Amino acid sequence: MSSTKVILIGGGLAGLMAAIRVAELGHSVDLFSVVPVRRSHSVCAQGGINAAKNLKGEGDSTWQHFDDTVYGGDFLQNQPLVKGMCEAAPGIIDLLDRMGVTFNRTPEGLLDFRRFGGTLYHRTAFAGATTGQQLLYALDEQVRRFESEGKVRKLESWMFLSAVLDDAGVCRGVSAVSLRSGEVRTFPSDAVIVATGGIGAIFRQSTNSVACTGSAQSALFQQGVHYANPEMIQVHPTAIPGEDKCRLISESVRGEGGRVWVPKAAGDGRDPRTIPDAERFYFLEEWYPKYGNLVPRDVATRAIHKVVYELGLGIDGKNMVYLDVTHLPREMLTRKLGGVLEIYEKFVGLDPRDHPMKVFPAQHYTMGGIWVNNENQATNVPGIFAAGECEYQYHGANRLGANSLLSCLYGGMLAGPAAVKYAQSIAKSAESVSSAVYEREQKRQEEIYDRLRSQQGEENPISLWKEMGETMTQHATVIRYNKDLQAADAKLAELQDRYHRINLADTGRWGNQSLHFTRELGNMLVLARLIVQAAALRDESRGAHYKPDFPDRDDEHWLRTTRAEYDNGSFKFQFDPVDTSLIPPRKRSYTSS
Amino acid sequence: MAEAKTILVRVKRQAGPQDTPQWEEFSIRWRPNMNVIACLIDIAENPVTSDGRKTTPVSYEANCLEEVCGACAMVINGHSRQACSALVDHLEQPIRLEPMSKFPLVRDLVVDRQRMFNDAKRMRCWVPIDGTYAIGPGPRIAPERQEVAYALSRCIFCGNCLEVCPKVNEHGDFVGAAIVNQVRLFNMHPTGAMHAHERLRAVRGPGGIQECDNAQNCVKACPKGIPLTESNNDVNRQALLDSILGWMFH
Amino acid sequence: MSAKTVATAEIPPEAAVVPAAVPDRSYFWDKIHSLTGIIPIGAFLVEHFWSNSYALVSADLYNRQSSDLQTIPWRVPVEALLIWIPLLYHGFYGIYIWSRGKANISRYSYGANWMYVMQRWTGLVAFVFIGWHVYVERFLTQGRSNYFDVAATLSHPLYLSFYVIGILAVSFHFGNGLWQFSNKWGLAVGAHAQRKAAWVAGAIGVLFAVVGLLIVCAFVFHWQPFQFYAQ
Ligand SMILES: Cc1cc2nc3c(=O)[nH]c(=O)nc-3n(C[C@H](O)[C@H](O)[C@H](O)COP(=O)(O)OP(=O)(O)OC[C@H]3O[C@@H](n4cnc5c(N)ncnc54)[C@H](O)[C@@H]3O)c2cc1C
Ligand code: SF4
Ligand code: FES
Repeated sequence: MSSTKVILIGGGLAGLMAAIRVAELGHSVDLFSVVPVRRSHSVCAQGGINAAKNLKGEGDSTWQHFDDTVYGGDFLQNQPLVKGMCEAAPGIIDLLDRMGVTFNRTPEGLLDFRRFGGTLYHRTAFAGATTGQQLLYALDEQVRRFESEGKVRKLESWMFLSAVLDDAGVCRGVSAVSLRSGEVRTFPSDAVIVATGGIGAIFRQSTNSVACTGSAQSALFQQGVHYANPEMIQVHPTAIPGEDKCRLISESVRGEGGRVWVPKAAGDGRDPRTIPDAERFYFLEEWYPKYGNLVPRDVATRAIHKVVYELGLGIDGKNMVYLDVTHLPREMLTRKLGGVLEIYEKFVGLDPRDHPMKVFPAQHYTMGGIWVNNENQATNVPGIFAAGECEYQYHGANRLGANSLLSCLYGGMLAGPAAVKYAQSIAKSAESVSSAVYEREQKRQEEIYDRLRSQQGEENPISLWKEMGETMTQHATVIRYNKDLQAADAKLAELQDRYHRINLADTGRWGNQSLHFTRELGNMLVLARLIVQAAALRDESRGAHYKPDFPDRDDEHWLRTTRAEYDNGSFKFQFDPVDTSLIPPRKRSYTSS
Repeated sequence: MAEAKTILVRVKRQAGPQDTPQWEEFSIRWRPNMNVIACLIDIAENPVTSDGRKTTPVSYEANCLEEVCGACAMVINGHSRQACSALVDHLEQPIRLEPMSKFPLVRDLVVDRQRMFNDAKRMRCWVPIDGTYAIGPGPRIAPERQEVAYALSRCIFCGNCLEVCPKVNEHGDFVGAAIVNQVRLFNMHPTGAMHAHERLRAVRGPGGIQECDNAQNCVKACPKGIPLTESNNDVNRQALLDSILGWMFH
Repeated sequence: MSAKTVATAEIPPEAAVVPAAVPDRSYFWDKIHSLTGIIPIGAFLVEHFWSNSYALVSADLYNRQSSDLQTIPWRVPVEALLIWIPLLYHGFYGIYIWSRGKANISRYSYGANWMYVMQRWTGLVAFVFIGWHVYVERFLTQGRSNYFDVAATLSHPLYLSFYVIGILAVSFHFGNGLWQFSNKWGLAVGAHAQRKAAWVAGAIGVLFAVVGLLIVCAFVFHWQPFQFYAQ
């Protein structure tokens, strides 16, 4: 068996897991990342990772986990792989445990589990309130070990630009740019795994990291890779607003007993600590007695929306509610939630152990993403695989908390070996591909950069980005109306037009961040339009996608995966049936159940 | 309503590693809850100095914006810290931004901290596992032990502890408290401990623990509150015992 | 890695094996440096303060004690091995260590950082003082100077201030050095233990300074508070 080279784009949880699997099989990896991989967005994940290990004697099972996930996703997933993921979860936790993740422990020295949204079981393993950080570090260290053995080469501060496709449309490598020197290069390989994470930057202020632009996904989409369920965008109910980003206050805060409320009287301006219990409206607990504060995110977000906009009960009349942990023991809060509470303390300046936190909903996650087959993470383009938040497979119309880290790891575990297998099965390897194929792609990319550098006009990339973010946040998040979506699309088209009049203040090469950002912005605009157009098409309400004009789920017409294909500036949509062979769809309601 | 306030920000600019640095001043419109990153975004939107001269956007690093990725370390008003958690309202003005001085400069506020990752390699900072196949759960660990390890494992590789350390500079090659702390962390783990000898040998190598002279700035600068001086001393103890035992028995 | 290294954007070379670091001599020499500060230099310091304390009893006893010390067997090799070589090593290696650091108290003026800087300057002062002291008392006078010779020297304000500064520097350097030692040899690990060690080391430093100054007083004011012992 000869050794092949796999290119990995992205060093978050999904990318690192895939890298480990490839290296473990004895093959070499080129790992590209815009940030040093240890700084990838996965470090932000706070709450935990799900696995039905049933260590609390609750009778939890992987099937129950599977059922919760599918139900939580409003039945939009192809079920077999979701089942596979839930069955693999306990083993994945064991693996992480062996890698040295500092999971919280019970007095017996076993893993501790907490509750999360959309389930009635203690199923979420956690490491303080910085679980993603701890998981990412463990994987990063394993990859560093392979690096020191000469099996992995990291290309950090290199940004993926495009796939190199040969005349038959087969992927033969990638083109990338050095964020330092501005030099564009192509890199040959037989298989490429894309693990580039979320797309929060399209909404400007989201809970995501700066590098989550979705630019890579969009570039691939424009090269013919299909994109699925773009309209499925998760808005997290509890974040704190900031000038530069919205900082998440994890669902684990509610998992450990945090309560959401507003004053019963509209415009009650009293210090929240002085408002007696009888004058507080614990709306989640009242409306959803069984799940209480731990309803899934789409449900909680819409409840907040209702409280604020229909009942007019938002704090100070604003889109804000209280998330309260002041009734919980301080020592427990610090031990289990220290990392999250610190964020509130540092960025708001109040200690949440004493003051109820003011929170509001913010864009958080994309369930939609690169289309992959429901077998081994392969996309429709031969040689390109995808894993992690950038693909659409596991979460349907709404993701349950603590399921994403799991899906990233599971996807990475599948993608690595699948890419190796593919690379070894093809008759003609990248080495025998004519160098003209690479030169052509390099030239195409350099021309795009040259155009950006030389174009004239009065527009500024940051301003356009802000306008795009406002449009998207306003029209394509919690509540959607067709006419707003159409207006948003028109606005985005206008931005695309103005994009060509961006005048860069800096046209140099070395370390020119605004140049690369502008490059990404062009890609973001395409993805933004894809989201609003797909949202406009889906005339029903399902999971995170909610249209007051079509308030119900419509399985007859819309139990379908939206699948988009790029067609010279516009999009072609097709609607695939969903594989619901294991759990037949049933009505989703958290009020009683 | 209060009238529009402005914020003065001075940035030490340097176009590339070979260029000479120069200071530029910007005035920025104040909004509530601003941090240093928000100021830098504003500058990118309107790259004009406070005396009306057009310039280029400032290069800087940032990712998570919630002090968990480590990217945004820089020297703010003379102190090395994370820019995302540096709230404008808590800073003296004009706010002075400089790149870290102990790492090779790339451009403006961007430096190359690759050496930390390289040192982590040389010091074997990982738990070596046999493979990713399913071979059952990891070792049991007492909750008290987990709590100590968790505190150590929150290091974000920001490099602030290196920047403030008098022993990290162009004459010395000290790996810095962050890496020493990693050695302690992995030696604590039941599986990691099986390879403690290799790590303890490495940490007595060039730039190793012997370089620490207890100025103890690291522990003050660490945004994650990691007990770095404890880690230094603990690794000192382990390394010493290992060297004596190694000398006697190996 | 130095600040002068240039960051480049070359494509990283092909993946390559990175071996673990291995111990080098600097670890050994550094440990020897910190050890010599305690044994024998620290021990000698204790002995030296002790024998000089006879000046607090009586001039006679002081003179007898000092002539006893002049007549120990194997005097030269003993002195060389226990005092001169360790002292020279400790001093010059200390200066080498100093040269590898770059103080930054103007930016980070924290307690321990001040100690770091003070340790270097007091070390230098102590080194010069001890060098001069040894030269005068051991080589110029062949170690035969008695109580009255010393008193005569100390009656000179310039020498007096040199002695006072020297004794303070030595005491600080020794006290803080003890704390350094407890860190560097991992004797005090936890924050609490470090604080306790700092107290103990600080107390020892102060004790040395006080005793040293009292000895100076014994010569300057012919003050022998323990004279009644000898009666
Ligand atoms: C605040 C917050 C809290 C969360 N908490 C939880 C939780 O508790 N539990 C849970 O299960 N999930 C949680 N999530 C979701 C989860 O963190 C993410 O979905 C997951 O980390 C995504 O991992 P990833 O590997 O797909 O991508 P990422 O970690 O985002 O990594 C993407 C990688 O791709 C690289 N990259 C991107 N574009 C390019 C390009 N063009 N060229 C080269 N490289 C590129 C980046 O550098 C990075 O290395 C949370 C999310 C947020 C925002
Ligand atoms: S130890 Fe602290 S200061 Fe040093 S790199 Fe880690 S987090 Fe930063
Ligand atoms: S941006 Fe991640 S630490 Fe500041």
